[in-house]
Amino acid sequence: MKITREFVRDGKTVAVTAEFLEGDRWRVRIGDKVHEYEAKALGDGGVKLQSLGEGADRAFVAYGAPLAKGSMVRVDGRTWTLEAPAARRGGGAAGGDGVVRAPMTGTVLEVACKPGDVVEAKQTLVVVSAMKMEHKLTAGVAGTVRKVAAQKGSTVDQGAELVVVEPNKSEEKTS
Amino acid sequence: MVRGLQMAKNPPFRRVLIANRGEIAVRITRGLRELGIESVVVHSDADARCAHVLSADHAVPLGGNTAAESYLDIQKVIAAAKKTGAEAIHPGYGFLSENAGFARAVRDAGLVFVGPNPEAMDRLGGKKAAREEAIAAGVPVIPGTEKDQGDASLIEFGKKIGMPVMVKASAGGGGRGMRMVEREEDLAEALAAGRREAKASFGDDRMILERAVFPARHIEIQLMGDKHGHVVSLHERECSVQRRHQKVLEEAPSAVVDEALRQRMGAAAVSLAKRVGYDNAGTAEFLLDPKGNFYFLEVNTRLQVEHPVTELVTGVDLVHLQLHVAAGGKLEQLLAGRDLRPRGHAIEARICAESPETGYIPAAGLLRLVREAEGPGVRVDSGVYSGWEVPPYYDSMLAKLVVHAPDRATACARLSQALREMVYLGIPTNVDFLRRVVDDEAFRTANISTDMLKHRPELAAGPQQAPGDHTLAAAVLCQVLGKSGGQGGAPASGGGSTNGSTAVWQTLGGFRLFEGAR
Repeated sequence: MKITREFVRDGKTVAVTAEFLEGDRWRVRIGDKVHEYEAKALGDGGVKLQSLGEGADRAFVAYGAPLAKGSMVRVDGRTWTLEAPAARRGGGAAGGDGVVRAPMTGTVLEVACKPGDVVEAKQTLVVVSAMKMEHKLTAGVAGTVRKVAAQKGSTVDQGAELVVVEPNKSEEKTS
Repeated sequence: MVRGLQMAKNPPFRRVLIANRGEIAVRITRGLRELGIESVVVHSDADARCAHVLSADHAVPLGGNTAAESYLDIQKVIAAAKKTGAEAIHPGYGFLSENAGFARAVRDAGLVFVGPNPEAMDRLGGKKAAREEAIAAGVPVIPGTEKDQGDASLIEFGKKIGMPVMVKASAGGGGRGMRMVEREEDLAEALAAGRREAKASFGDDRMILERAVFPARHIEIQLMGDKHGHVVSLHERECSVQRRHQKVLEEAPSAVVDEALRQRMGAAAVSLAKRVGYDNAGTAEFLLDPKGNFYFLEVNTRLQVEHPVTELVTGVDLVHLQLHVAAGGKLEQLLAGRDLRPRGHAIEARICAESPETGYIPAAGLLRLVREAEGPGVRVDSGVYSGWEVPPYYDSMLAKLVVHAPDRATACARLSQALREMVYLGIPTNVDFLRRVVDDEAFRTANISTDMLKHRPELAAGPQQAPGDHTLAAAVLCQVLGKSGGQGGAPASGGGSTNGSTAVWQTLGGFRLFEGAR
């Protein structure tokens, strides 16, 4: 058995391939490096890992879970959220691409713009409330509001497109 | 040996309804079971499979999803109590706990409210009212407005006492609607935002304004009163580590409160409580300045989130005591022979579904894998489990991790180790942030203040590090061998455990599979 998964590390896509050898042993290729591990599944959802390479004989327990766009893993008391390359291309919630998205599931409290408005960068466009806290969502770029999908009082999912701002020509970025 | 509460032989009630959710409702059901009392919980539609529903003897659906449709609906909650034959209602914290109208409605329905009498709540519940009572009781207060006479008047007063000032919700506690304003031109906007938050949280948008004391330490006194005029102080907690006026770490005793100051603050809090005829649990909050002067902030007329640290150092179960005094028990009998002096050191960390690394954005969603710390001196008051989908409608707190050790240094080490063991996967949490704060030199040396986190943004941001090879390898091997997140990418609700290996393969959406050998 052999499986491959891609992650983003330092802005670059890294392919991680785990290949089953025998017993509890796996060979893992990360880029051009090769590691070997003894991996034992624990009953509580964790996996005990022992690196078999030289100078890395410490055993550790890892816990992992898949996410919609990547995965989460807890190793040595630290949680890592690993992005899959596809998720990254979607752009940030802050709207550097002119799209303002809901950073979390919540309720739209206020819509402070309408189609056709000329807005400044960092100007508040929408106020969203989640878990009893208010969050101001601001324009990532200066430009003209082209679309307002947010409706006052409605519930929005994390990542939902709320406002689309068409950037001013002079400030348009290529990314 | 420590003696038990003297009335423990006779359960104070037969059946009690808990008008709350999540970890505090679970914690109260435990207390009820220990006293031989049946528990009734209520829940919204979104909470049908919440941990508190699973922990109780009886559960009554209230319908709706938002707090206003469910946990804040006084008529629905009282009807649930009547229907199930509950004799008393424990409100927990938040929701209706500090609502004197609710306490009155409970009493009018012939039920017992496990909390203070509504008359005392009226006199202490609002910050403004509490401040007037404190002044009358000779307790020192911070200069500020007495009431809300509109934005123009508040802004004028703010300019008069000088920046920085605190803008606060008149009705509430817990930091909702509260903001520090450093520039006069920001006052109007802070008032508007504060009013909106206060309206949403308490249904009352009145605001007050006062001078900001800082650097300050937040010290609070746990009070307990009975229905016979007795009030005791169960000493201080320090909750100086805060972010945006929400407590992050709480401890007892405080590293900077000596026995003389403890006695003075306790006496001030007790005199205020006695003045208003207070009964049941309450907390008087103070700010302590670097010179050792303390200023009264407010009284929280309820059980606090951070009550476990007091329980650990005094050996008193506050929920048991609340139930006994609500049933008419006398403190002098309940606490007879008890040594209430603090023993050892306890620290609590609030585990929240939020991401300090990205501006503390809260996160609702599916908790695919939960594994909580254990071991000597470790207490976890949790309201979640693997497979629970955290709803977006309520507070972001998932659980409380509380440790107890003989001294503060050991308690810090124990909390750090316990945080290391905590596993919550599926949505972001503040666990790693909490560990960074606990391991920080400033916390270890108790050099803390309410604005500490504001001046140390790197603690929230965390180290900018790329994942190492072992981390990436672990992520892939966990997805092959671990059994978490059996629902795959589907937005499943609840469900919990997954069985068999097929569920594991369903989670491998992005993988390329070759011949299976296992």
